[in-house]
Amino acid sequence: MSQQISLDYDANDQMIVSAAHLIRNNEAAYIGVGLPMAAALLAKRTHAPDSVIVIENGIIRTGEFELPAGTDTLGTQYQADKLAGLSYISYLGEAGFINLGFIGAGQIDRYGNVNDTVIGDYRNPVHRFPGSGGANDVVCFCQRTCIMLNQSKRRFPERVDFNTCPGYFDGKPGQREALGIRKGTGPVAVVTDLGCYEFEKGEMVLVSVHTGCGVTVEKVKAETGWDLKISPQLKDTPPPTAEELAILRATTAPLIARRRRTDMETK
Amino acid sequence: MNKVVSMHDAISKYVKSGNLVFFGGMQHGEPFAAAMEILRQRIDHLQTVGCLLTSLSLLIGEGRVDKVYTGYHGQDFNRAYWMARAKAMGTYPIFVEYSHFGIAQALMAGQMGIGFIPVRSQSGSDMLKYNPNIKVIDDPFTGEKTGAVKAIVPDVGILHVQRCDVEGNAQRWGTLGVDAEGINASRTVIITTEKIVDSDVIRRDPNLTIIPGYRVSAVVEQPWGAHPMHLAGCYLGDWPGLLAELGSEDGYDTFMNSCIYGTKDWNEFIEIRKAFRGEDYFQRLEIKKIPSDPIYHGFEELE
Repeated sequence: MSQQISLDYDANDQMIVSAAHLIRNNEAAYIGVGLPMAAALLAKRTHAPDSVIVIENGIIRTGEFELPAGTDTLGTQYQADKLAGLSYISYLGEAGFINLGFIGAGQIDRYGNVNDTVIGDYRNPVHRFPGSGGANDVVCFCQRTCIMLNQSKRRFPERVDFNTCPGYFDGKPGQREALGIRKGTGPVAVVTDLGCYEFEKGEMVLVSVHTGCGVTVEKVKAETGWDLKISPQLKDTPPPTAEELAILRATTAPLIARRRRTDMETK
Repeated sequence: MNKVVSMHDAISKYVKSGNLVFFGGMQHGEPFAAAMEILRQRIDHLQTVGCLLTSLSLLIGEGRVDKVYTGYHGQDFNRAYWMARAKAMGTYPIFVEYSHFGIAQALMAGQMGIGFIPVRSQSGSDMLKYNPNIKVIDDPFTGEKTGAVKAIVPDVGILHVQRCDVEGNAQRWGTLGVDAEGINASRTVIITTEKIVDSDVIRRDPNLTIIPGYRVSAVVEQPWGAHPMHLAGCYLGDWPGLLAELGSEDGYDTFMNSCIYGTKDWNEFIEIRKAFRGEDYFQRLEIKKIPSDPIYHGFEELE
């Protein structure tokens, strides 16, 4: 049965594809649930078949698996290369053996500091996020960290209300190392539903805009809480290729079907 | 020594009001039946430590927890009815927040019997402003800075395992989260197990033993003891299904009153859940089990 794959895609698809491009073959990538997991599987099924997927509950795997609904499932455990605990996974990173990590974020600021804890006062919050989880560890341990979130002015403030996962503090060099955080770590990329960013001297710089999703530079600026630095080489974000979209659809289909079945059961 | 007791007796004897309790199972094989028995016995003023615990939401929702040592817990009232409920009752716990590795290493220091342990994360985070158990210190050997966390030594630890003998030699496999450091850090240890097996089964593959029997105070045989979490080699999980059910006041109250306080134990709980989720609910969580290849530990000397 041949089926025409729609070339339509949305910002979520773009985020997954852009994130997948950051994963290099033979590298170990620390992956959380949601978009990063889809990105890791897409990378594995395209340009990075030998990438190593590391999951915080204690999973290290190079083999195929179905896109899961959570980080730890029987499916993510089954046929792993090694099962251990959270400490073992973190030790790999702490000793310098994890190349890339993905985290989400409640808020991120100009210098890549991430707030996963609270908006407003810590003791009297306006909004509570669930906390660091493994995110602080990922940013401290992985050689490169990519932060993924939906962008809005509220989530892109000049300074975060609470610094859960330090990026480059106020941008002055050497502050991470002075605290004993491993040299050669820190945020290198931010992927949002509007664009992609890199860091230059500790400051976030817009490098591409998801023009294929109808986003403009003006829109990006309007959803940023500071005077955003824009790369002189600003590009359109490379849109997903037909092959990437087809593989992405095939990757997410089982989970979507599973969720649909569960929804029907709970109704 | 045979340490097998009922769930009721294990909890009533070893979990006391005011205790700091470690719960094993970081999304995998949490001791859910034991946590629900703590609720049934209305043990309060607890302090808890663990990672990504689903049962913690119910302990908090019932107002039994004073302090939570955690890396991650949903506290958004709009998304978590149980948190709003604790707030309304005036029993909202204090959260002592770490990264996940911070929690893991605090327990590791507890297991090791040392006062603190260096960690190279958390430093520079605002978590340090509110959590006095994380510090940046001087490395005495290099003079450079390093992070450190204070040891956590739980009064009692509860771990659910796939198999255990009557003496408490407990074997657990699959992902281990913070299970090994947490249970070995705990002063008193309760093991709940899917199945009690002959000691010979344990001794033929002793690398799987996560804690030796002499460190264990009570053993409880409890099939489906981790439900609604999944357990490697045993069953699938359905914790999103449970959380969806608990999301409203009605759903929450029905679950607590009919399924927890309205049942005398976990076996009765499993029976009553079928009325809510369908007669075949647990059959659908069962799996076709695939064995690992046997390995060879044992020997007899050749003639």
